[in-house]
Amino acid sequence: MKYILLMTGSRGGVDTYRAWSKTDIDAHMTVLQSIDKELNDTGEFVASQGLAGPDEARIVRGERNGAPVTDGVFPESKEFLLGYWIVDVASPERAYAIAGRISTAPGPGGVPTNMPIEVRRLAGKTQESGK
Amino acid sequence: MKFILMMSARKGDWDAFATWSKEDLERNTAFMRAFSKELKDSGVYVASEGLGWPNEAKIVRAGNDGEPITDGIFPESKEFLAGYWIIDVESPEQAQKAAARVSAAPGPGGKPGNIPIEVRRVLGGFADLGL
Repeated sequence: MKYILLMTGSRGGVDTYRAWSKTDIDAHMTVLQSIDKELNDTGEFVASQGLAGPDEARIVRGERNGAPVTDGVFPESKEFLLGYWIVDVASPERAYAIAGRISTAPGPGGVPTNMPIEVRRLAGKTQESGK
Repeated sequence: MKFILMMSARKGDWDAFATWSKEDLERNTAFMRAFSKELKDSGVYVASEGLGWPNEAKIVRAGNDGEPITDGIFPESKEFLAGYWIIDVESPEQAQKAAARVSAAPGPGGKPGNIPIEVRRVLGGFADLGL
């Protein structure tokens, strides 16, 4: 079963992150990298990506002539995707356990961030509409 | 440059989607397939996934003992990721053009959905964040 683990944050949260010390950032990244390695070793790793900061984000809609209409203004409350992991696991519980590990990655001063990680099942090709 | 095009919707929108007629669903699915094929044919396609229904979503945090704590209660306003495309293009404008195309995917009665598509740059590596 494939699951996607989504790490999100508000713009304020991302600004806080930018203020972390280099030591704190390095410690955080080391843990995330070791989780990636572990998932590679267990064969559960499928894919992972990090996204650029919310300040570059654009919302696009199509206009009648097909030209893109872009908007870069977002409510303060908007959750921005920061990055994700796709894992292929035997059960949802295993996906939750991996998300829990990511949530314990250290923040400033080595204290776990306890970041919320959204866990979602990936739709199989035949289940895309749920019908 | 890699970009991710994200389609999200609130729970109410998902509920509405579940009531679409078979014909409307098929028209929408055919459009999405053609869009993916177009991306592949033009050589910009990197990856794409569709996500399962929001009622299966869980938020996971780590408890003090490292055990995952899951929660499945979300505010009505929460946007749930429905699916995404990652494309490798020459410019942000090209990514926005593709986003506008998918924004025009047909909804009920074949009218363009004009759904908002969030366009974000995908990082090659953590160093790209410039921290």
